[in-house]
Amino acid sequence: MEEEEAGTMVHTNFYCHLGNWGILKKLEQWFIPISMSPWKLGEKAALQALKANPYVDMIVVDGISLLCTDLQVDPQDIVMLVVSWHMKAATMCEFSRQEFIGGLQSLGIDTIEKFREKLSYMRSELRDDQRFREIYNFSFGWAKEKGQKSLALETAIGMWQLLFAEWHWPLVDHWCQFLQLKHNKAISRDTWSQLLEFAKTIDLQLSNYDEEGAWPYLIDEFVEYLTENGIVQRPQN
Amino acid sequence: MKKKRAVRNNKPKPILFGEGWEVIEQGVTKIKRILEGLPEPPFTCEEYMKIYTRIHDMCIQRSPHDTTEKLYTKYKEVIMEYITSVVLPSLKDKHDEFLLRELVIRWSNHKVMSKWLSRFFSYLNRFFIKRNSLPSLDEVAFTCFQDQVYKETKGKVKDAVISLIDQERGGEQIDRGLLKNVIEIFVEIGTGKMDYYKNDFEEEMLKETASYYSRKASNWILIESFPDYMLKVEECLRKEKDRVVHYLHATSEPKLIEQVRHEVLCVYSSQLLENEKSGCCVLIQEHKVDDLSRMYKLFSKIDDGLCRISQIYKKHVTVEGTTLVKKADDVASNKEAEKRVVVGLQEQTFVREVIELHDKNMPLVNDCFQNHTLFHKGLKEAFEIFLNKTVAGSSTAELLVNYCDNILKKGGSEKYSDEAIEQILEKAVNLLGYIYDKDLFVEFYRKKLARRLLFDKSANEDHERSILTKLKQQNGAHFTSKLEGMVTDMTLARETQADFKEYLQCNPRTNPGIDLSVTVLTTGFWPSYRSSDFHLPFEMTKCIQAFTEFYPTKTNSRKLTWIYSLGTCNITAKFELQTIELIVTTYQAAILLLFNDSYRLSYSEIMSQLNLADDDVVRLLQSLCCFKYKILNKEPNTNSISSDDVFAFNSKFTNKMRRIRIPLPIVDEKKKILEVVDKDRKYVVDACLIRIMKSRKVLNHQQLITECVEQLKVFKPDLKLIKKRIEDLINREYLERDSENLNLYRYLA
Repeated sequence: MEEEEAGTMVHTNFYCHLGNWGILKKLEQWFIPISMSPWKLGEKAALQALKANPYVDMIVVDGISLLCTDLQVDPQDIVMLVVSWHMKAATMCEFSRQEFIGGLQSLGIDTIEKFREKLSYMRSELRDDQRFREIYNFSFGWAKEKGQKSLALETAIGMWQLLFAEWHWPLVDHWCQFLQLKHNKAISRDTWSQLLEFAKTIDLQLSNYDEEGAWPYLIDEFVEYLTENGIVQRPQN
Repeated sequence: MKKKRAVRNNKPKPILFGEGWEVIEQGVTKIKRILEGLPEPPFTCEEYMKIYTRIHDMCIQRSPHDTTEKLYTKYKEVIMEYITSVVLPSLKDKHDEFLLRELVIRWSNHKVMSKWLSRFFSYLNRFFIKRNSLPSLDEVAFTCFQDQVYKETKGKVKDAVISLIDQERGGEQIDRGLLKNVIEIFVEIGTGKMDYYKNDFEEEMLKETASYYSRKASNWILIESFPDYMLKVEECLRKEKDRVVHYLHATSEPKLIEQVRHEVLCVYSSQLLENEKSGCCVLIQEHKVDDLSRMYKLFSKIDDGLCRISQIYKKHVTVEGTTLVKKADDVASNKEAEKRVVVGLQEQTFVREVIELHDKNMPLVNDCFQNHTLFHKGLKEAFEIFLNKTVAGSSTAELLVNYCDNILKKGGSEKYSDEAIEQILEKAVNLLGYIYDKDLFVEFYRKKLARRLLFDKSANEDHERSILTKLKQQNGAHFTSKLEGMVTDMTLARETQADFKEYLQCNPRTNPGIDLSVTVLTTGFWPSYRSSDFHLPFEMTKCIQAFTEFYPTKTNSRKLTWIYSLGTCNITAKFELQTIELIVTTYQAAILLLFNDSYRLSYSEIMSQLNLADDDVVRLLQSLCCFKYKILNKEPNTNSISSDDVFAFNSKFTNKMRRIRIPLPIVDEKKKILEVVDKDRKYVVDACLIRIMKSRKVLNHQQLITECVEQLKVFKPDLKLIKKRIEDLINREYLERDSENLNLYRYLA
């Protein structure tokens, strides 16, 4: 009872704070009190968060589906990644109240229509080199399991497919194949970030690739894989 | 009355020129006669004074009678006249040696003449010449000779001299004194500067020398062998130096020698060195020390000479070493099916031959090549090349360890004296200096040392310590710390054992009734041994208990882990015909003891009783019934162990010895050792990288790799390994990449 009251109190405070945002009604729908979260994995972390601050709410799987429906967007659409980036979301498939509200504020969104309009702007952000890099690097931390240092290979491949559909890298399929054949382990943050640099700076003939440079070992092996299997003919120098 | 003083009318009468000259003329004539060799007494003092005074008087006369200038002019005229009328004609039609002789005489005469005339006319020097800044008398005389005589004859003179030099080169005797005098003229004519000597003589002389030796060398190169050619070179250099000493000017020496050396040596250096029949390689091969020393001396004076020789040398040594490697490889691959013993023997031979190769080469480098760094380097690099290959499937580090083990174990080197052994160990340690995988050496050495120490196979503790000292000197204390710890442990273990014996005497109830000797090892020093859940025979458990109770009384807070696989047991076996003492390992003893209670046992029964793994059980049973001593009988009586076999005690066993050691073949732990070393290397590289980054804070990739390679002395790191470790450190957040420059790393505190 106390909890509920406190929850109501927060809501009330919340409303007072935001004034006449039309989005408020929606907010209520999307936010689910912790105790009802069906998502197992989020539960443990969420319970911990509950102990720390009982009044934090989360948007989790169901809430996100609802959100996507309202936005008329597929939950798998890459624009959701951009949204997450704006919200500085810690983990995929969940938004904390803080992250969500903070993100809306920074985007200047106070109605659902505005949210929908912003989506096309967010899509365009992926075209910008610098922005794409930020989002790409962000997505490592976002996509990995909480408490893990590395990103599971399956997830990483999925993310790469998604990201390199936006910024086209011809070797992405070979890269994923190579990883499944030869590596079969989780991906480190360093490898993740360096891969983008590789994709951006190294030409498709690999002519400007320097094995003695500071590239991660896995990328060295990828280059070897490409040349050994005749996928790329490196010019002899 | 006025006194009139009479003024002496002493004003001398002015001397007229013509009149005055008469006296002088007499002097001139006298000089000429002396020079011509006509009988003429030398000048007396009075004669000299008379002429001098006459000139003096003529000079101090006032105008219009002052004839100073005229005298000056006349002086020159005299000389010129003599030159034109006497000197030049005498030289005109002469050639060769005759010309030279004449010229020497004329020059000498000229000097005499000019000396005397200058004396006569020397008053002119004091005022007239100085006041008018005119050339001195000596200069005038000199210039006359230079312009009139020298310039006219220098060409012919030069040709004559050079021709004589060539004759002498050809072997004829020539008048060296004459040449010396002539050449001195070239020098003197320059009055302090060597320009005339250089331009009018030396230049041509050098050219002619060059072409002379060029012809000679082109001949020699066709007929002479390399050593003989070198002798010729030495000789002609010596002769030319001699020439300088006897008649050329000292300043010509370096240029002359340079020319000669160029023509006979530089031009043909490659051809000579690379001559297939007698070139550098052949000389090294045949260990021709004299020729090699000569070659070193000669070629050290030409550009690149030593460089090229050292390269040939290095290549030669590399080839010799690689041949040894191949030889060992061939033996190993041929004997694949045959006994390990033969391969082992070849390994020993390989190491020995490498040491011999080194011994053979040290005097070459030290003596023939005069300890020059280029050759030390060449030798070192050559050895590094072939000693870091795999030989017969093993690393050279392992081979070297086996070699040392042979020397240090009992029965290995009894035939050598102590000093000889010291020398052998010294040389072996020396070889380690060329091997990159030094950490591999330590691991293998540890294993072998452990066996020697624990199974009492070490021949001499002093030698054991001595080789460790040498290793320490070469590689630092950290390198040998574990090994030394092992040796020390043995000493401590003996003390502990003595204390244990005392303890047993004082506490008879704890005495297990069996003689137990325990060696306590410090875990960090010794190789890691896998522990097992071995079931100790009950006879032995009381022993272990006794020691386990005793040990804490000696030292506290130490955990004992028993490694039964390393134990030895003396077991008395009562056979039908004899009682024999068998020296076996603890595991072997455990098997034998089982037969105290059962007559027959199956393989699986034995295995379950012992609680050991299959490969161990197989090995143990083989040692007891398939090799030399058949202590157990096996059904079926095949030579291999299968899990269906049944075993029984062979009571009918006999042997003429009362005491037999039943050996247990050693498992080849090569793979395990390589794994251990690889793992250690990761830590070593990590520590090194962190150390570097901690002090440098920021460093780029290339520099980090370079420094890491430089700092690692104990093995040569694989670049891929270092790269992987860097990445690992990034993941563990010891380092980070710089966001701007991806080649740069930053240390994270």
